Amino acid sequence: MKRRYTIIVFTENNFGLLNRITIIFSRRRINIESLTVSETERKGISRFTIVIDYDESKIRKLIQQIRKIIGVLVVFENEDDQVFFGQIAYFKVITSSFEQREKVMEIAHRHQAKIAFSSEDYIVIEKSGKEEDISTTLHLLEPHGVVEYCKSGRIAIVKDQHRFSKYAKNMDPEGWYSDEEFHELPLNGKHLL
Amino acid sequence: MSIATENAQQLAVQAIKPKHEKTNTIVNGSEAVILSLIEEGVDTIFGYPGGAIMPIYDALFHYRHALNHILVRHEQGATHAAEGYAQMAGKPGVCFATSGPGATNLITGIADAMLDSVPIVCITGQVAEKFLGTDAFQETDVMSLAMPITKWCYQVADPDEIPLIIAKAFYIARSGRPGPVLVDITKDAQFADMRKPFKYEKRRQIKGYKPACKPRDKDITKAAELLNQAKRPFLFVGHGVLLSKAEKELLEFVEKTDIPVASTLLGLSAFPTDHPNYVGMLGMHGNYGPNKLTNKADVIIAVGMRFDDRVTGNLDTYAKQAKIIHIDIDHAEMGKNVTPTVAMIADAKEALQDLIPVVNENKHESWHLEFKKLYDEEYSKVIEKDFIANDEHIKMGEVIRRLSEKTNGEAVIVADVGQHQMSAARYSKFRKTDSWLTSGGLGTMGYALPASFGAKMGAPDREVVAVIGDGCFQMTIQELGTIAQSGLPVKIIILNNNYLGMVRQWQQLFFDTRYSFVELSNPDFIMIAKGFGINGHKCMHADDLDSSLDTLINSKEAYLLEIVVEKEGNVFPMMPSGMGVDDIRLE
Ligand SMILES: Cc1ncc(C[n+]2csc(CCOP(=O)(O)OP(=O)(O)O)c2C)c(N)n1
Repeated sequence: MKRRYTIIVFTENNFGLLNRITIIFSRRRINIESLTVSETERKGISRFTIVIDYDESKIRKLIQQIRKIIGVLVVFENEDDQVFFGQIAYFKVITSSFEQREKVMEIAHRHQAKIAFSSEDYIVIEKSGKEEDISTTLHLLEPHGVVEYCKSGRIAIVKDQHRFSKYAKNMDPEGWYSDEEFHELPLNGKHLL
Repeated sequence: MSIATENAQQLAVQAIKPKHEKTNTIVNGSEAVILSLIEEGVDTIFGYPGGAIMPIYDALFHYRHALNHILVRHEQGATHAAEGYAQMAGKPGVCFATSGPGATNLITGIADAMLDSVPIVCITGQVAEKFLGTDAFQETDVMSLAMPITKWCYQVADPDEIPLIIAKAFYIARSGRPGPVLVDITKDAQFADMRKPFKYEKRRQIKGYKPACKPRDKDITKAAELLNQAKRPFLFVGHGVLLSKAEKELLEFVEKTDIPVASTLLGLSAFPTDHPNYVGMLGMHGNYGPNKLTNKADVIIAVGMRFDDRVTGNLDTYAKQAKIIHIDIDHAEMGKNVTPTVAMIADAKEALQDLIPVVNENKHESWHLEFKKLYDEEYSKVIEKDFIANDEHIKMGEVIRRLSEKTNGEAVIVADVGQHQMSAARYSKFRKTDSWLTSGGLGTMGYALPASFGAKMGAPDREVVAVIGDGCFQMTIQELGTIAQSGLPVKIIILNNNYLGMVRQWQQLFFDTRYSFVELSNPDFIMIAKGFGINGHKCMHADDLDSSLDTLINSKEAYLLEIVVEKEGNVFPMMPSGMGVDDIRLE
């Protein structure tokens, strides 16, 4: 059965790694729903957040293959309830009349969105949150003339403090898992069998 | 390769003082490449020059007494030769190629090494950095091509990175589950002087890369428990046994537990074929008993093998009744195709060393009898017929049987891909380890000729015999030139059926004998060999076979023996694709 997974990958910040990681998905014909990459608080270490819909029965194999890539430090595979996550969206709305402007600002206000920029004839509204919230805002704004809309990929943070700190060890300059930890790695703390 | 072997190897390398005094002097990128290779203990390079790698070739010229370079005739040949070399020498094989077409010609061999876990280090020249991405002359994005088929690859555009990257390349290629790596070096980085003096340090670890870990006590205990209680245990040997040099431990383990042993295609020669516990080969054209009885075993212990689909057939019906102990160094193999009861991520040698003291001494006579019964059936329906020529035709099986007898099972057999490969795998007797090379995972036609001279260079003291089909031979036939020029005494047998035999067999069995483009009209192979300066003979009749083989084996130089074999012979047993191990057919 397919589920939504948020895969968080920590890697060294080497060029080519993005390619190497995405190949794992493309050769299995997995469509990436969203992908966000940025440097972390640790210099030289990048964080990938990849969202896919994938078979429950095959996810572990996929994670094991990502983990095998040299330059990949840690991989977490998470279901939605294991992470805090969100996205950010911008809407550019044409506001030709005062009433329209008022209306748009009111929608933004009601939906905890910000006015990111405002000019004489359009407003840029910034909305962050879950995908559903963003699409609700989009639907409400659409009748008022959304001329440009963009949305980021998902970013996510792992809820379980213990799990994260244990594996974060590998991101230390000389840190590496013990054999025992290594055996348990692909499965977020649960052993394979 | 086991950690122990690796250490031993490193010590051996340290013992040989590098043949250069350039440490702590400023050199250019090209010289840094050559010095780094010497520091890694490289003695042989297979390659082909061209514009983008000329600075490296120029540096090589100055070190030609320290590094032996073999000029192949096609870059694919370089990769296969490096594979053959690596497997026999027990250290990574090295290839050089230029950018663009040189690099793309390497691709098939790199993919081959990836699927068969062979350590090779490929160094390609690249256009100058300012031309990258401009479709410059002979530019291809070799990094993007290589990524999915290498264990690791890296592009260097700064000469100061070279020693570090080459050290990383060698460490990655040979450690853990070995594999191919590629280092692409821009032409300007080859020309430019390093800013810092040359200094080389071998790698022993890389952040985020854990090549091996020790078996866990709880897995050892659980595995021993399962094995000790098993009534019908069965052991599978894979390539991992050879890679980790665990043959001695394997033998000891088997003799204590009395478990029947079967081998995968790439595991052949890890276990002596005349040992009473050896029951044959697994897989599509493997032996009848091992395939059939896979679905009867109660405990399967798989050592250094990956349950490839050519071994398992249909997974839905594969070994469902068995508890599986899977030992492999690659964590990503655990549960990939079959779900193990005990997943032991470990080097095969260490795992067996830990298991030997905790498994019970045992006897499994009645279980062995079941294998024997099925072997007898296979013998009368298949083997006997393959061994004994009828009046008109020489059979592939017969050639291999005699070759094995004449070489006392001690030669290194290098097989190409097709019916002749399966015959060689089925009928070669192996008395020595590391005696079998073939392209298993990728099934690359054209593998054997270059791999055979690579093997000869890796193990000059061993007799190397390549067994090649008439189709395969013509994929890399030009490497006869390399063999001749290098004076390598490689023995070549062409089993000529004037067909792409294996494809013809499938067309006969599964496509109603519609022989669609599988017949070959062949050249005079002996004349071609002679043109290259290699002696040869064409054997057409059974009564000439014996003396032909003798001439081949007794030749002190390279020799080509073409043997005309039965035109439409088929290889059985056979597990039709998509079917299960139970469905294996004897005819
Ligand atoms: C490069 C490549 N192309 C095609 C194939 C498919 N293929 C597998 S076996 C085979 C026939 C090999 O013919 P030959 O070398 O004459 O050997 P035989 O089977 O007759 O012993 C072919 C075409 C392959 N494995 N590799």
